[in-house]
Amino acid sequence: MKLLKLAAKSAWNRKISLSLAMFSIAISILLLLGVDKIRKEAKNSFINTISQTDLIVGARSGPVNLLLYSVFHIGNATNNISYASYQKIAAKKRVKWTVPISLGDSHRGFRVMGTSRDYFRYYRYANARTLQFQHGKPFVDVYDAVIGYEVARALNYSLNDNIIISHGIVSSKFAEHDDKPFRIVGILKKTGTPVDRTIQVSLQGIEAIHIDWQSGTRSGLKISAEQARKMGLEPKAITAFMLGLENKIDTFRLQRKINEYRAEPLLAIIPGATLATLWQTIGNFEKVLLVVSALVLMAGLIGLLTTLLTTLNERRREMAVLRAVGAHAYHVMLLFVLEATFVVAGGCVLGVALLYLIQSVIQPLVADLYGIHISLCLLDGEQLLVLGAAVLLGILFSLIPGLIAYKRSLQDGLMVKI
Amino acid sequence: MNPNVIKLHNLRFRWPGQAEDILHIPDMQIHQGEHLFIQGSSGSGKTTLLNIISGINCPNAGTVQVLDTALANLSTIQRDQFRVDHLGVIFQQFNLLPYLSLLENVQLPCWFSHKRKAQAGDEAALRLLDELQIPKHLVNKPVNALSVGQQQRVAVARALIGRPEIIIADEPTSALDTNNRNRFLELLFSEANQQGSTLVFVSHDPHIAQKFSRVIELSDINHAGETII
Ligand SMILES: Nc1ncnc2c1ncn2[C@@H]1O[C@H](COP(=O)(O)OP(=O)(O)O)[C@@H](O)[C@H]1O
Ligand SMILES: [Mg+2]
Repeated sequence: MKLLKLAAKSAWNRKISLSLAMFSIAISILLLLGVDKIRKEAKNSFINTISQTDLIVGARSGPVNLLLYSVFHIGNATNNISYASYQKIAAKKRVKWTVPISLGDSHRGFRVMGTSRDYFRYYRYANARTLQFQHGKPFVDVYDAVIGYEVARALNYSLNDNIIISHGIVSSKFAEHDDKPFRIVGILKKTGTPVDRTIQVSLQGIEAIHIDWQSGTRSGLKISAEQARKMGLEPKAITAFMLGLENKIDTFRLQRKINEYRAEPLLAIIPGATLATLWQTIGNFEKVLLVVSALVLMAGLIGLLTTLLTTLNERRREMAVLRAVGAHAYHVMLLFVLEATFVVAGGCVLGVALLYLIQSVIQPLVADLYGIHISLCLLDGEQLLVLGAAVLLGILFSLIPGLIAYKRSLQDGLMVKI
Repeated sequence: MNPNVIKLHNLRFRWPGQAEDILHIPDMQIHQGEHLFIQGSSGSGKTTLLNIISGINCPNAGTVQVLDTALANLSTIQRDQFRVDHLGVIFQQFNLLPYLSLLENVQLPCWFSHKRKAQAGDEAALRLLDELQIPKHLVNKPVNALSVGQQQRVAVARALIGRPEIIIADEPTSALDTNNRNRFLELLFSEANQQGSTLVFVSHDPHIAQKFSRVIELSDINHAGETII
């Protein structure tokens, strides 16, 4: 107890250099925990993009590729799948629901996705949440569109506004379906997923705007919006579809069946599994960040070690006095260990406090900008482990000056040369 | 009770790495209650001798007996405890820890020794400081507000608190001017007498020798370096 008091008072006497060391440890703890937090949040929002979909089916390519273009709207499908195959699989007994996806068009940088009304019923993200409407309702008419939160915000759209869809994913004046404008009938609430940046229309709508187009360019004959409406708008192909089963047990069997589908080469993926594979690839980058932060923590601890070592000489007399009044040589070492423990523990507390402070400040901002909700939760086991390891390393480092002081105080005795 | 508080017999000591003994004392006895002055030139081994008496260094040969206890029979940790229980130490300079208040500095031995704490009681520190003429208003001040003379008197209070049997002082007056030196010695003697403590005082300064009841020239008892004919 007395030793603790001595260590505290002695450390307070050198508060400037020690608080600097403490601060640099706090910063590195902040960095380490912050990076870890971002990593986990990013992973969460990534994994949360799609849930409760048992299979995603598309043309045969790589699983990651299929996942990227169908769910994240990154990149393009190499091939479409025939609507007939889609209908055939959708009609299977064990299939509970399907949601078709037809991609390829855009509006001012936002993807347009053709789908069915089942999309609003069955698409799930973040632990079984369904899409919610901020305004309006699902599309009914061929030329109805439902826009994501971010689309509405960025382009300042409201209900009943008309939008022109461009052909292809890069907007171009010469490839606009300007003869068939769409009316916004619904605006979705924020989801924090790519849905926010997507414009949803019916498959028939997609069909209608392409009815007088052939291989990417306008064909000679013009068919007006109203004429198109009356024509049979049965799509011939879609990009992919999502599928839910009556019973999850059948997932692998159906997956294999689809992958062996004879009529055309199809690929079925389990989104969760492919997300995990994909995350492993991206996650490596986060690991590098984590390693860098760990090195910063090491630098902070070495800074503390330097501070302790530079005080060795000026504390020599202090140690001689303590030895004279009965302190053991190991007390002398303990003083260094206690001091390092104060500094590192203080740095940890300060770092965690800073982390929470920053989180609570940027939380509304991030939620607003990216739709990512940062939860202000307690430290998890891994983070506590990091803090524990930091303190332990600090103690380990302090043994170096501690042992030097120990040996010296045995030699110095009562006589300290200045 | 043994009238000999400290007994050295056939003591030999050299620092690690040294080729020759710095101390070789065939026999030395220090009696209960006496004020002993050990005079020796700089580097003659006075501090080394005090280190040995206080159990910080162990002799290479011979015995050191303090208060009927042979220090060699104690473990290092027991020696540390023995030191604080029975010895008060005053250095030449910088006796006080700057981060403790004056009062805490005086009470420091009580932090490490139940015996000293019990013998001191509650008011001892304040009483000692008062007797050593430290102004009351300085008591809770940081120690660097004190003059060197005051600091050395506070060191005396710390050495005396809890009535240790022996006070050892390593050139405590060499940083003081003549006035302060005389005042310091008077107070040290009167307090040591009052408590019945034995005083072992080493210095290179021969001028203060006449104030002591017994004076030893270190070179007279230390046979190290002499060639035996
Ligand atoms: N810790 C030590 N390690 C090695 N040699 C020392 C140590 N302390 C003192 N000495 C040597 O012992 C000799 C006596 O020193 P010391 O006892 O301090 O003399 P004094 O106190 O009489 O001036 C000196 O020559 C000094 O160099
Ligand atoms: Mg000396």
